Amino acid sequence: MIFTSSNTLENKEVIEYKGLVTGESLIGSNIYKDIFSGVRDVVGGRTTQYEAELEKARDIAFESMKEKAESLGANAIIGLKISYDNLGGTMGNTILVTAYGTAIRYE
Amino acid sequence: MKIKDKEIDFIYAGKTILCIGAGTAAGLAVYGVFLYFHIAIFGWNLGLIFAPLSAGYVETILSNRFLGKNFGAVSAFILFVYTTFYSFILKNPTLGMNLITAGSIIVILQSAFPTLVNYLLMVFLGGLASSIIWIFKKIKSSFKTAKSHIRWETKEEEEDSEPIIYFNEDESNKKLNSMDFFFLTSTDMCGRDHDLLGLYQSEIIIHNKETISVKRDEVEHKRLVSIKQGKDDCLTKLAEKVKADGGNCILDLDIRYGLIGLGGDNIHIIAIGVAINMKDKSNIVGRR
Repeated sequence: MIFTSSNTLENKEVIEYKGLVTGESLIGSNIYKDIFSGVRDVVGGRTTQYEAELEKARDIAFESMKEKAESLGANAIIGLKISYDNLGGTMGNTILVTAYGTAIRYE
Repeated sequence: MKIKDKEIDFIYAGKTILCIGAGTAAGLAVYGVFLYFHIAIFGWNLGLIFAPLSAGYVETILSNRFLGKNFGAVSAFILFVYTTFYSFILKNPTLGMNLITAGSIIVILQSAFPTLVNYLLMVFLGGLASSIIWIFKKIKSSFKTAKSHIRWETKEEEEDSEPIIYFNEDESNKKLNSMDFFFLTSTDMCGRDHDLLGLYQSEIIIHNKETISVKRDEVEHKRLVSIKQGKDDCLTKLAEKVKADGGNCILDLDIRYGLIGLGGDNIHIIAIGVAINMKDKSNIVGRR
């Protein structure tokens, strides 16, 4: 499965548009995680825990999108868009990760 | 003279006894003054506090000056024992056993044995607090048990917890891509023939319910399900709008999420894109 944010696949021909595929995931507001990340911020370290959580959330969204594309018979996703939105929550750290794109079949 | 390899310095010991004696004498003198003038509150003579304090103070001052160190106010303990014995046993005053007396005894004991008394007080207060909490828990659990028995008998009330909602991803995917309509995130159709209809958008607002719950995972799962459902509704709404104007495809689709309302208590989902009318739909589903 090829993922690309461009409209086309270079040197490949789009033979069929399969439709829209989306994937979403939510990073919860874990107060303990927030506190410890805050501590690391204070001491100047990277908030690796958050980075790991964001990567995990993005992977979940991508996997969901990929499964949907495969179920439609696609072998690539073009025009891929990813967004991270803060949805408030406890301490303002509920983050919605969304990924969506156009599932296609190329040759 | 040696006791366990330590030589006793009689001069030093004498000075020590003198310091303690002087402290004790000072304490007794203060106690005598308080008794003579009846300096008391609610019948409770303040000499019981000030006599041991004075004794300890005098002893500490003298021992620091003549010996270079103090012995922890031994005379204060002597005065404490004496005044308590004299006041409560020998003289047997008319002071009744009431809340003030109990409090006063605690104050005296605390001044004589601060660490011990504070420790006991903490143990007592901690034990008292935990006992009260235990009693309330028992009462609460009794109510719950009674409530569950009533439920068992009537079988009318529903369960408190809401059932967990699941979002069917496959069904959602099929529904979005089987409306005789195309959502494309790409910005063009690679030269396929179409008519441009213009920019279209639709929006949905869902309640961003922020509940205080220990089951955070459950709350967030429900929120995610409502967001996914809201997104599907928003896209369906957009498709219907475009279809009503004769279109059959959206290009450069953008789905945005944001918070609106007081304190961000609503989630705003927007779907926006360029609507077109594909001349030949077979172009999109098959080889050009």
